[in-house]
Amino acid sequence: MIALRDFLPYLGKRVIGAIGVLIGAMLLVFFISYILNPNPAQLWAGPRAHPSTIAAVIARYHLNQPWYVQLYYFLQSYVTGNLGIDPQTGKSIISEMGFYFPNTLELVLVSMVMIAVLGVASGYFAGMHFGTKIDHAIRIFYLATWSSPYYLGGFLAILVFSSYIPLFPSSGMYSLTLASQPAHITGIYILDALISLNGPAFLSGLQHVFMPAAVLALLDFGLVARIMRSSILNSRWSTHVKAARAKGLAEGEVRRNHILRNALIDTNTIIAVTFGFLLSGTIVIEEIFSWPGIGAFTYSAIVSIDYPVLVPCVLLFTLGVIVANFIADVFYSLLDPRIALGEGGGAEG
Amino acid sequence: MSTGAASMRKLITSNSLSMFGLVTVSVFLVVTVAQVASSGAILPYNAYQPSFVQADLPPSLSHPFGTDLLGRDLLSRVIAALPIDVGIPLITVGLSAAIGIVLGTLAAFFRGWLDEVLMRLTDLFMAFPTMIMAMAIAATLGPSLVNVTFSMIIVWWPPYVRLVRGGVLAIATEDFVSISKALNSSFFYIVRKDAIPNVLPTILVYATFDVGSALLTLSTLGFLNVGIPPTAPELGMMVSNVGNNLFLFPYQIIIPAVIVAAIVAGFSFLGEGIRESLDVKLRPHILIRTKPAKELEMKTQ
Repeated sequence: MIALRDFLPYLGKRVIGAIGVLIGAMLLVFFISYILNPNPAQLWAGPRAHPSTIAAVIARYHLNQPWYVQLYYFLQSYVTGNLGIDPQTGKSIISEMGFYFPNTLELVLVSMVMIAVLGVASGYFAGMHFGTKIDHAIRIFYLATWSSPYYLGGFLAILVFSSYIPLFPSSGMYSLTLASQPAHITGIYILDALISLNGPAFLSGLQHVFMPAAVLALLDFGLVARIMRSSILNSRWSTHVKAARAKGLAEGEVRRNHILRNALIDTNTIIAVTFGFLLSGTIVIEEIFSWPGIGAFTYSAIVSIDYPVLVPCVLLFTLGVIVANFIADVFYSLLDPRIALGEGGGAEG
Repeated sequence: MSTGAASMRKLITSNSLSMFGLVTVSVFLVVTVAQVASSGAILPYNAYQPSFVQADLPPSLSHPFGTDLLGRDLLSRVIAALPIDVGIPLITVGLSAAIGIVLGTLAAFFRGWLDEVLMRLTDLFMAFPTMIMAMAIAATLGPSLVNVTFSMIIVWWPPYVRLVRGGVLAIATEDFVSISKALNSSFFYIVRKDAIPNVLPTILVYATFDVGSALLTLSTLGFLNVGIPPTAPELGMMVSNVGNNLFLFPYQIIIPAVIVAAIVAGFSFLGEGIRESLDVKLRPHILIRTKPAKELEMKTQ
């Protein structure tokens, strides 16, 4: 463990770095959208919009102003948290994102638990059986699922487990025919059901989330399994393991405390990083499973080139990646104190 | 150079993973080149012309993959899609690697403010979710193959800059580079003779793996109908066009999707196999892995 005195400055440095990346990302998104599309009124209003509609769009989004004035309004909207109205639905964008994001969080978090279990277990077995048939079978399996597109996994799962063997529902988040729905507390359905002790709703939520989360997990656990396997290989022949055996420790103890625990340092970090991957993956999975999440919401904004919604969504995904990387860095420094104590520390290298 | 090619061949063929990948990749590359070179003459049927009397035929001898809902032969559609589905990922990865080599070498050699600016910019681009950013750019630019390639490259280059910079930094302090500098070699000479040959193997392994990832992103763009023109045959798009027919005609979805998975798997297995063979730490254990496990444990202790 690392002393708090060494850890706090490191944490502060990382927080400032993460905020810097976020601000940079906001500026970059603004400039990319400005350069790609310097005069977006026609695009936003639609190809057959009346000139008066286009004029109204220009006035509402300050499109006739020079770029620095537009940048000012852009930054101001994020500082005040007033992102405006979704032109498609007429609702407040921030409240729409607040509705959709917890649903995606439920999907991604359940999937991350599955990835952690699958990835660590399969990577450990492959590494401990290096070069044998077990190793080959596990590697071929995770390389093959890692190579499969999300739509293949999604459609196959629906075909087999909703149509041929009707075990799981193919769409939605919960059953609409339940006697009572849990109150809206966190927005994450299964968590709300658990808090309000609503058993049937909890089971229905689990049944709905299982298939999309399992598809996401199966197609992405390869990354974790691969890192786990290679860190097992790195530690199992290292000198400290030889020393532990030379001390006469039991084989089980050597494996648990000296091989597995060391390999988990790298793997923990990667599990946090998969959060970003999974967020991107939700676009396809939410489309296929009709999951009312932020991915499907973003997709509808992309298809209709609805910039007032699209830009905050892209930034929300970016924030997700930044937070995941931040947590990974902090985890890593807690587990491996050399990182925080070393000069510079953090993302370099 | 011939010894390099021979050792490369030995490297690939000695590992069953990379061997499988090599065969798969070669098959798809040969068909792609044949399709481009013959400008479509190798197709068994017309891949574009609808013929409604033949709609939704299941796989048979005359149509090995069946026909789609417009009556077009799926095998012909798949082959016609290969130049897009193999070509665009190759171009994306190739140009991204080129950008990475230029910017990464500049950052590593000149350090200072140039390094700082380039690396912060790379960090920013790395923070974006690849798929969503590519989709947003492609949708803004409008559907065309050039635009979709461009939007892929915008999100694809950052890891290469980091990779090249790291590799060049690692050799910049080596004695042979310092001596070369002391001998007054020009910047380009050092880059050409020392830097690039030393980072190239790492880049090649990563890029091989990466072509598969690029195809996954590209075909997902096609699946979501973003950026790829509706008339172009693309495997992901072929899957989405029959979305409602999933339960009636599953083969129309499964076949193009499995082809995508096969191409991606080919590149991934090839990259993974080469990486393993090059791994110096694992090499002694690979060489003695044919011996019984007990003996191996003894040997390493």
